[in-house]
Amino acid sequence: MPHFDQTLDVKGAKCPMPLVKSRKAIAELPVGQVLQVISTDRGSVADFQGWAKTAKNVELIAQETVQENGQELYVHYLRRTA
Amino acid sequence: MTLTQNQSTATEISPRELYARLLSAQPFFILDVRNEEEFKRMPIEGHATLRTLNLPYFDFIEDEEAALARMPKDVTEVVVVCAKGGASQYVAEVLNNHGYRAVSLSEGMIGWGNYYDVRDVVSKEWGRIVQIARPARGDLSFAIISGEQAVLIDPLRHINVYRELIDHAGAKLTLILDTHVHADHISGGPALAKETGAPYYIHPYDAIHPIDMLPAVIAYEPLRDGQVFQIGQVRITTIWYPGHTLGQVNFLAETPDGGRYLFTGDGIFLRSFGRPDLGGKGEAWTPILYRSMFEWLPRHLTDDTVILPAHFSSLEEDAGNGIFAAPFAQVRAQNDSLRPRSLEEFTTFVLSHLPVFPPEYVEIKRVNIGLVEPCEGKASELELGKNICALAG
Ligand SMILES: [Fe+2]
Repeated sequence: MPHFDQTLDVKGAKCPMPLVKSRKAIAELPVGQVLQVISTDRGSVADFQGWAKTAKNVELIAQETVQENGQELYVHYLRRTA
Repeated sequence: MTLTQNQSTATEISPRELYARLLSAQPFFILDVRNEEEFKRMPIEGHATLRTLNLPYFDFIEDEEAALARMPKDVTEVVVVCAKGGASQYVAEVLNNHGYRAVSLSEGMIGWGNYYDVRDVVSKEWGRIVQIARPARGDLSFAIISGEQAVLIDPLRHINVYRELIDHAGAKLTLILDTHVHADHISGGPALAKETGAPYYIHPYDAIHPIDMLPAVIAYEPLRDGQVFQIGQVRITTIWYPGHTLGQVNFLAETPDGGRYLFTGDGIFLRSFGRPDLGGKGEAWTPILYRSMFEWLPRHLTDDTVILPAHFSSLEEDAGNGIFAAPFAQVRAQNDSLRPRSLEEFTTFVLSHLPVFPPEYVEIKRVNIGLVEPCEGKASELELGKNICALAG
């Protein structure tokens, strides 16, 4: 698990909310810090990759899938770069 | 714009309304807001008048102004689509706040992929032939209802559509026929047989997985060449047509008014024909297909025999009113791939027009003879995207 500074829990939130909330959280994060986003939306994996590619100040450091109480969690690590 | 949980929602368009628009061939504009990879795997296709643009929803979240600037200048009416209907709702609202008239496809591509269209091919005194299509996949299946009996040909996975149709007609399902064991989609035949007790027929050659060489473990009745079934006043003859699979058959339905309807499965399509390589033995099966196509089938074909295939590749094949069927004389004139060729020419033509072989097709054939039992999620994943059963154009 990569180092992170803050966590955003968007479990249960459906597309596009995980990304909407992450965008907002990144905007409030100090430059250089890392945000951990915990989602149950499988589509978020590809969408966060696509977003990070075009976003101005977001770098996707890592993504992992973990099991919690029989459900899959999709965890993203995003650094604010500027 | 701030997004809250109890926001007002943009107007939605249902899969049924979307399909009506696609069939109408009126120009319209689809904004697909999925990521690029998902968009490329399964775009919504229509007539040449349909314009589609892929602008992922996260581009609107990241920089709304920049995303809006990429919209075509001459467009005001937009149908927005995404995977499940959430992101398209979000983008449709953004667009509506900027002077567009945008609607969101309800339930997104999942709803579209699972949408079934049911309409009569013919309705006469002796009964009806009904086309049951899954337009997103280009899959076609049929019911013949005559007297109080019904037969299904190539029923698709969501079997309630068929049960409702037959119940509504006041008929009883007495026979289930598959033209072949499909590679591109999961058959509804075995499940319907289990639920209704109607016998499920496939040709025994298709009851062996062509790559695993393992026999079917589902319950089925064996079809044989020349076998005849009677459904009310309609007589159905089995015509063995090996090539796409070794056990592929066509069913010829003859009606009391002299009508001839040939259900070709993945034999002849309206603008192409079924590829002979999905069993993994394209070079060996091509000459077999050649004999079926040019030597055996023509005996049963008259100019007015209506051809009803199991797939279409493009909405351009719509013969009018969303029916993908046409008399053989017309098919012959429109389908250059049926042009007479020597075996050598035919082989060269086939082998140079083979599209990609989707890897999941091997698994789907396993599912269809019971070697694998997928859960709902896995089943819909296997069926993602449009069929690739025809030769490439
Ligand atoms: Fe097929």
